Amino acid sequence: MSQVILHHVPLSRSFRILWLLEEMGITYDLKTYSIRDGSLRAPAFLEISPSGRVPALEIDGMTQFESAAIIEYLCESRDGFCVGETAQERLRFREWMGFAETQGSILTTLNLQHLFIRPPAKVSADVLKVETARLKKTLAMMEEALTERDYLLGAFSAVDCMFGWNLRAAPFYVDLAEFKALEAYLDRIHARPAYLRAVANDGDQDFYEKPFYAAKDVT
Amino acid sequence: MKLTLHHAYQSRSQRVLWLLYELGVEFELIQHNFFDKSLRSEDYLAISPAGRVPALEIDGEAMLESGAMVDYLCECFPAAGLGRAVGDPERRLFLDLLHYAETIGQHCANLTQSHLVLYEDWMRSPTQMGLEAKRLFVTLKRLDAMLSDGREFLLPTGFSGVDCAVAYGAVIGQKFTDISGLAHLQAYLTRISNRPAFIKSWEKPKGVPAIYTKDFYEVPNVEKD
Repeated sequence: MSQVILHHVPLSRSFRILWLLEEMGITYDLKTYSIRDGSLRAPAFLEISPSGRVPALEIDGMTQFESAAIIEYLCESRDGFCVGETAQERLRFREWMGFAETQGSILTTLNLQHLFIRPPAKVSADVLKVETARLKKTLAMMEEALTERDYLLGAFSAVDCMFGWNLRAAPFYVDLAEFKALEAYLDRIHARPAYLRAVANDGDQDFYEKPFYAAKDVT
Repeated sequence: MKLTLHHAYQSRSQRVLWLLYELGVEFELIQHNFFDKSLRSEDYLAISPAGRVPALEIDGEAMLESGAMVDYLCECFPAAGLGRAVGDPERRLFLDLLHYAETIGQHCANLTQSHLVLYEDWMRSPTQMGLEAKRLFVTLKRLDAMLSDGREFLLPTGFSGVDCAVAYGAVIGQKFTDISGLAHLQAYLTRISNRPAFIKSWEKPKGVPAIYTKDFYEVPNVEKD
């Protein structure tokens, strides 16, 4: 089988893929970029990923984009993890994959405003307030699901990996202490050897400068 | 299979409505007003806990997330040929575009929030709006490049469910970023807007307001440093 190469930025959506590759025991080469140094806009990278986005996964003779598409392709093309045996299972799998991006888009908006818009450019306090409330709502929906089961679909699945980035990014904006089932779920995740290997390989992020950003700190 | 689609005119649920017409299946359509409290009613929150559209009831059980619905419905009705099953040479591109639809859609949603929901200038960040409009343009430019090889629709073998998912972002996206330079994308939009199912899905329902009332929403001037 040809070489697998993951194009990656620490603590970004590509962490989802990094973790799943570890869970599936797929050998990969990691090419790490920084969102700040222009390397995602370099011609060499744009040849691989025309929109200059990560993750991009070179696998089976093609480059696959979109973290959710990569996860579904890995599940569909290899043994070990699957999208679901029945139509009903596949429905829930895909619904959670979509929901991860509903939540992911909120995190992206918060990242953009808190981290990448620098004074004197003005951020919108209203956007931060609305998006932080929406993030809380999505976490409450996960909390409800996880009070009934150990993992999002019952047994551990690739959907959990899809939330791997989300749940590392969310605590910068929302205190998770009120979500007890979610915290217990995170304890289970953090005990997985593949997760720990993925975190060890992730590299140092260079955009969060403090552990918590409150919406109300912005005027 | 009994299908009920909860829909708000011009919202992401357009994707699923269009697809259902393309599939030619029977379904019940419930029109919601995007702006009033009906999406916050207890009855609706029992179906969609965050009060979002679309929601699709399948034999009484609710499904959320428009992208997931597109993949699921294409799989449920294989005779229509709008999906690409596992093992199909176009499966990887199908998955990519299905999710790329949301990459585009998220920029549209953020711009919609800033332009239409945050109605006072002081609530908005022109810098954010400018960045979102630029990023949106980059995502649409990729579609234009794909279409430049002369293909009629997004997958080389022909029309599919991903057109329903992706084209929504271009239909709405052109209200926020100027696509006059993207000739292939514009020709594609003309092609899809001639499809009977597309036309039917975009007919404005009576008694429900439009979300977008302007053809184009200009980014406010960004103050210079």
